[in-house]
Amino acid sequence: MSAALQLRDLSKQYGPAVAVDRVSLDVAPGEMVVLLGPSGCGKTTTLRMVTGFVEPSGGDILVDGHSIRMLPPYRREMGIVFQSYALFPHLSVARNVAFGLEMRRQGRAERDARVAEMLRLVRLEGLADRLPRQLSGGQQQRVAIARALAIRPRLLLLDEPLSNLDAALRQEVAREMRILQRDNGLTAVMVTHDQDEAMAMADRLVVMRDGRVQQIGRQEDLYERPATPFVARFIGHSNLLAGSVQDGQVLALGGADVALAGRYAPPAGSSAATLAVRPERIVLAPPGTHPEERVVGRVALSSYLGAAVEHVVHVGTDQRVVVNGASSGPAATARFAAGEAVALCWGAESERVFDAADRVMPRSASNPAPVRSGHDSQTISKVASNAR
Amino acid sequence: MGADIAAGRRSRTAQGLAAGAFLGPATCVVLVTMVAPLLLLARYSANRYSATDLMIEAVTPENYLRFFTDTFYLGVMRTTIGVAVLSTLLCVLFGLPLAWRLARMAPRWKGVCMLGVILPLFIGSTVRTVGWMILLARGGLMDIATTRLFATRLDLMFTPTAVIVGIVSFNLPYLVLTMQSVFDRVDVQLEQAAQALGAPPVRAFWRVVWPLVLPGVAIAAVMCFILSMNAYATPVLLGGPRFQMMAPLLYWEFGTNNNWPFAAALAFILMGTTLLLTVFANMLIPRRYRA
Repeated sequence: MSAALQLRDLSKQYGPAVAVDRVSLDVAPGEMVVLLGPSGCGKTTTLRMVTGFVEPSGGDILVDGHSIRMLPPYRREMGIVFQSYALFPHLSVARNVAFGLEMRRQGRAERDARVAEMLRLVRLEGLADRLPRQLSGGQQQRVAIARALAIRPRLLLLDEPLSNLDAALRQEVAREMRILQRDNGLTAVMVTHDQDEAMAMADRLVVMRDGRVQQIGRQEDLYERPATPFVARFIGHSNLLAGSVQDGQVLALGGADVALAGRYAPPAGSSAATLAVRPERIVLAPPGTHPEERVVGRVALSSYLGAAVEHVVHVGTDQRVVVNGASSGPAATARFAAGEAVALCWGAESERVFDAADRVMPRSASNPAPVRSGHDSQTISKVASNAR
Repeated sequence: MGADIAAGRRSRTAQGLAAGAFLGPATCVVLVTMVAPLLLLARYSANRYSATDLMIEAVTPENYLRFFTDTFYLGVMRTTIGVAVLSTLLCVLFGLPLAWRLARMAPRWKGVCMLGVILPLFIGSTVRTVGWMILLARGGLMDIATTRLFATRLDLMFTPTAVIVGIVSFNLPYLVLTMQSVFDRVDVQLEQAAQALGAPPVRAFWRVVWPLVLPGVAIAAVMCFILSMNAYATPVLLGGPRFQMMAPLLYWEFGTNNNWPFAAALAFILMGTTLLLTVFANMLIPRRYRA
């Protein structure tokens, strides 16, 4: 398959510190790939190596199959939208957009037509003669996109393009950018630390941590099948419970035992494990009333958040589990007061167990987990409210 | 309603008084140390000089007329302006890349390099000039070096070149410091954006960075020009007795000749010319680039 952009074992070291560690990635034509991770995870450095402003210590970057590693930034034909937009403050909107075309020594008529086309694309036709400082943040961002696209770049690179917009505008701009990218078949790589932004914009995501790729995949892959506890926590705030697996189906937390829904085969020599369960996949019930009861804890906090109700439950001696449920409607969660004992319940498809090396622990095939049918949350909440 | 307005007026008066109290001391200092001597000097410049009584009370333009009608004095002014313009141009030429490089340096090296720029300022200007004398004089280091290497003598002492070298070396640190802070305020991402759009580094600099720093560079250059116009120690020590510039001439009229009226007139002419040229230079900068 021909990839528009390929990173091959791309690395960057600053002295003894490794900022990016052998990142490999293929981006298909017309695809939007988002690099996601906390600050300092190497995502921005990776992007800068693609732009050419940071020189790789190792590995290669290929665009349409050709290495661009030796090309200087001004010959890479990349459309970059910077975090600060980096609009030229002394040039009008139209001159900003025309800048790349002037550098290519295009004819005036052709250039003017292209500028008009770009401003129409980002719906800023009327503002061509304004200076950047006379525009709102959202408008500036659109100028930056128009300027980047005017040169018909081989790749569109977005460096935290939404972080300078206020929260209300962010979703709208994200949606618009996504539609623009889709409709024009642009191949794009975006960097962000915001997982909601990443989920909304991406065809595929690359989750990074400490310079390494943790997982590459579509939203569903990362959410349903996280490859490491870090991904489970970073995408969708999974609860992580550390303990040790005993007999393949009990996780001893210290002070409490979790009856796992599946049967697991820990690697030889180490039974240490981390259990990941998402807050919205846990059902709360009074102890002893639910067929999928896993462990009993004590409610520490119960908060009503509008659409959702959040419970924080102490489990074992020192671990906490956050549980989210709908506040109303047919699937409304039962509410428990602080100090009440409560059972945490979930099905086999909602739990994921990692071994000491952060690898997914395989389920033992010999004895498949019992499949319970239809855990109807409505009846559960009824049971729960009856119990009170 | 009327009471509100009256109250507003009263509070405004109170504000005015408070502002006056803050500005008062500084204004007094400026009045006493700058405006008063200038007025006194202006008055002196209209007096008459006599070799026996020195200064005679009068109101006469003859000191000014003397300057503008004597080719010697006009020649001195021409030399002064020439040296000042040339050394300012050289300062900008040398200082610009240095300042830009400093502004774009990684923080840990920047401190060290800044210190390197500032260090010459710790040494008094006279001591530094003596250093130049040792380098440039007949039998000095440069002379010895060129004699040994190329078998030609190099005697730069008491030449305009020596004076310009001295002034440039004296002004450069001030210029670099000023321009460095100007470059510092230009976002690196602007240069990167220009490069990403296809501009090689030099072109990116001229099209994007230069227009943005021009007002700041102009201010630095004006400062450099004023310093050069008023240079004293360098022309005296490196230019020698026959190389005349305005500041040494002024001092000579004042101190040696005891011709205070003419010295005062010279002071005003030097000040006026510097001011005029500065305003003129500022007009050369396109309006949209002005600060």
